[in-house]
Amino acid sequence: MNDGAPPITAELVVFVILAAGTIGGALMTITRRNPVTAVMSLVATFFALAGIYATINAHFVAILQILVYAGAIMVLFIFVVMILNRDEVQLFSFKGILTRVIGVVAAGYVSYLGAWVVWDQRAMPNPTGALLRGGLTDPPVGYGTVAGVGSSLFREFVFPFEAISLLLLVAIVGGLIVSRSQHQTDMAEGRARHIRDIQAQSHPEIKLLPDGRPADDDGHAAAGHH
Amino acid sequence: MEYSLRLIPLLPFAGAALLFFFGRALRRDWAHIFATLAIAGSCLASAYAFFSALPEAREAGGLHDLVWTWMSSDSLKLDLGLRMDALSGVMCLIITFIGTLIHVYSIGYMSHEKDYARFFSYLNLFCGAMLVLVLGDSLPVLFIGWEGVGLCSYLLIGFWYQDKANADAGKKAFITNRIGDFGFLMGMFLLFEATGSLNIPDILALAQAKSPTLLMTIWSQPKAFWAALFLFIGATGKSAQVPLYVWLPDAMAGPTPVSALIHAATMVTAGVYMVARMGALYLLSPPAMAIVTLVGAFTALFAAIIGFAQNDFKKVLAYSTVSQLGFMFVGVGTSSFGTGIFHLLTHAFFKAGLFLCAGSVMHAMSGSGDITKMGGLRKLVPWTHGVFLVCLLAIIGAPLFSGFFSKDSIISAALATEIYGPDLAWVGKLAGVMLFVAALGTAFYMSRLYFLVFSGPCRADEETRRHIHESPPEMVAPLVLLAVGAALSGYLGFPGGLFDGTSLHIPNLLAEWLEPSVGHELHVSHLVEGGTMGASSVLAFAGLGLAWVFYGGGYREPVKKFAAAVPGVVSLVRDKFRVDELYGFLIIRPIRALSRGLFLVVDRILIDRILVGFPVMVVDVFGRLARSFQPGDAQRYVAVFAIGIAAVFYMITRPPKPEEIKVKVDHFAVDADAGQGLGGQDLRYFFDFDGDGVFDRSGPSPTAHFSYEGNGTYNINVVVQDPKWGTIRNLKTKVTVR
Amino acid sequence: MPTFNYLILSFILFLIGTTGVILRRNALIVLMSIELQLNAGNLAFLAFARALGDQKGNVFTFFVIALAAAEAAVGLAILVGIFRTRQTVNLDEVTLMKR
Repeated sequence: MNDGAPPITAELVVFVILAAGTIGGALMTITRRNPVTAVMSLVATFFALAGIYATINAHFVAILQILVYAGAIMVLFIFVVMILNRDEVQLFSFKGILTRVIGVVAAGYVSYLGAWVVWDQRAMPNPTGALLRGGLTDPPVGYGTVAGVGSSLFREFVFPFEAISLLLLVAIVGGLIVSRSQHQTDMAEGRARHIRDIQAQSHPEIKLLPDGRPADDDGHAAAGHH
Repeated sequence: MEYSLRLIPLLPFAGAALLFFFGRALRRDWAHIFATLAIAGSCLASAYAFFSALPEAREAGGLHDLVWTWMSSDSLKLDLGLRMDALSGVMCLIITFIGTLIHVYSIGYMSHEKDYARFFSYLNLFCGAMLVLVLGDSLPVLFIGWEGVGLCSYLLIGFWYQDKANADAGKKAFITNRIGDFGFLMGMFLLFEATGSLNIPDILALAQAKSPTLLMTIWSQPKAFWAALFLFIGATGKSAQVPLYVWLPDAMAGPTPVSALIHAATMVTAGVYMVARMGALYLLSPPAMAIVTLVGAFTALFAAIIGFAQNDFKKVLAYSTVSQLGFMFVGVGTSSFGTGIFHLLTHAFFKAGLFLCAGSVMHAMSGSGDITKMGGLRKLVPWTHGVFLVCLLAIIGAPLFSGFFSKDSIISAALATEIYGPDLAWVGKLAGVMLFVAALGTAFYMSRLYFLVFSGPCRADEETRRHIHESPPEMVAPLVLLAVGAALSGYLGFPGGLFDGTSLHIPNLLAEWLEPSVGHELHVSHLVEGGTMGASSVLAFAGLGLAWVFYGGGYREPVKKFAAAVPGVVSLVRDKFRVDELYGFLIIRPIRALSRGLFLVVDRILIDRILVGFPVMVVDVFGRLARSFQPGDAQRYVAVFAIGIAAVFYMITRPPKPEEIKVKVDHFAVDADAGQGLGGQDLRYFFDFDGDGVFDRSGPSPTAHFSYEGNGTYNINVVVQDPKWGTIRNLKTKVTVR
Repeated sequence: MPTFNYLILSFILFLIGTTGVILRRNALIVLMSIELQLNAGNLAFLAFARALGDQKGNVFTFFVIALAAAEAAVGLAILVGIFRTRQTVNLDEVTLMKR
């Protein structure tokens, strides 16, 4: 409560421009009828966001944002939009409109509260205020660079990293299966059945349970030798 | 004296239960064997008790069997107790003996019946209930028997329930009885309130001692009067007196053995028994006795007149029963309880005999009871004719037959009694005269019945005539026994005083026997006694002669001329004075209208629309409300999610609680109290006392003290802050300092 | 730049994203709004990481981006599947619930 208006630096100007771009792009995204327009504005939003990430010394993340988010995810969106390109006749959904509007108002209230808390606390002498006022000093060396993030990633966070790669694998396979056509599904199941039959023929002494697993003589699943 | 009396009603109950549950599985013979054995066993048990133990015991209140203590609380002690004293002993014997005879008769009469076991089951049940009634030691036990016989009456009248008319007759009997039972209950309640006990010996003892509680007046009559009156209302229902007699003629729809047992010998006499039993109570209230006497006399006369024009065999007998019951009530109404019971006894024999003869005749006539189509059966069913003749002579009061003695003792008691006091002395005389006329009527219509059925040429058609046959022995044997009883039972109650002091003196056995229970027999002078005997004999033969003139050998000229002359009168009498129609108009129609009204208003509107519809509507509304929470719409879920988060955020960060500042002014010093926050909130208070924007006091305490320099009006501004979230509240007030 | 600037921007972006999720009928737009929300979260992570000088925020953001990619892929695949059977991506018409 003691500061006057903050000094106008170039940093501030850049921030304001980029923030305006972000917010403008976001607003455009949710308010366009034409999905293509919406996708394009989202791409623009992401570019602006990448710029903001850069000002905040998160260089690696900024590049990632452009490469992955704007480059891969948005391209995916564009593909799908092209397949399903239809103009909306009615912009907003009116089903249960009351609940939805109240929900939006509530979300707005939450944002307002958050912003107000942040605004209020920044002047406080407590640690939160310190946190909120932070960011003015230079970060440690190597902060936000590829090397810096990489070393953190492969040392402390190697396990989540591997887990994420597994997740991506699952996502790929899942995406493939979900988007199969009926014909492709039938073909795949046919191939699986075929393999099971071959197994049964080549090793007739191994009985198969109904789901294809090999069984012992008394009907339990085999211990695993072949 | 303790005695195991419970066997007496228990045997018939056991028989009834056995036949009710297993009857269909049993062979036919076994059904009637069990039933008859049960009632015969009961007869033997009663006889054993009566002859062996009762003679000594009857002075001391009779034999007593406490079966079970029902409830025992401070105000009410109820036992299921049976007591056989002189009066109930006689009743037991009558019930079981005549019951046995009728069981035997039914073996033959109901031999073609499909529901054989059910019939005997009900018959046994009835006997059991009637025995409970007469053996009951307290009014509730009596009432159990009372209701039980009413139920059995309904079951047996409507035995062939597949025919709606029979079922309706059963219903009518039960409902009319029920009305009377209501009166009985009122009487019971009144007695309980007045005496504190429902035990019959206790009540009678209090009555004999002229207890003041019973003599307390309500509406200018003692409670004893009201109790006696209400009990009598019950008796009019059960014993078919005016105005509740209307069920008895309709009850003839049931099988004839039923009519004989229930509607001649036993159930309908329950009312007479009850009045005799509660004799001491009635003696406390002469007006009540007068009412009993007058109702009985009127009923006797009224029913006799209706009997003149009935064309159904059993209906004639039904009205005859009503009339004879009237005689009995006059008997007990004149305080000569013994004579009423005497007539009950003789009537049981000859009326049962008459009814069983009716059954026999109807059996012969292929089930028809229409006397206009009978005639000349004297030679065709000789045994039946013989029995009927004996019973006829008994009922009209021909000398030396039983009815002669019993009827006359009633009439002479009515003429001679002084129980009503000087104001109502005319009651007895009037009743006596009415009974004379009724006796004449009885002779007339019974003789009419005899002549139309048994004398002259047969008016039946060819088909029926070919089938006329005498009944099988198992039906004739009881008939003969009953005839014997009808002839000789009169000698049990030979009127004392006659042939007194001579070698021909026959003691009045019955009166002597009953004395411990019903008190001294009324003393009737020789003159009255003899005069009555003579007059009634003359009237009996006069009635017989008149009937012969009109109906001897079939419908004769005089009756045809009479019918042609006053057809209106004849049809009125034949239609039983249209009493049923009157009841229908006065009572049934308003009740029906009321029911209909209630149905439309209460049922349709109140219950269906409001009481049912309203909860339905509420459930619907709440259902919709509940459903709206689960629309399956993910976006709405997100919205609700956001609402929830907003609510949580608000709860966490809301401003501190204090609403206002309390200021205490003391000259220049001021104490301000801003109030505590919610529990657990660490708040900081900033006080600005002089309105200059600078905080003069601050700290965690809600109170602050300040002294002003000069006087004037100051604005006090207090800022309450929650340092954790930074939420603040501003409180302002003004203060004036001098 | 003081942190709180970025935080307020994050809140605003999140609000816009939530509005899009709640109010739009087109499933594609809804998915894009979800991406917006995720980005708002990313921004908050980065702002605090900068203020504390700690790399962990950046690493987390990396993971969030990877996750968003996976989620977008699968979500779009499902969407395509729905479109094949229902011929529409209008959320109002796709529902199976009564009324």
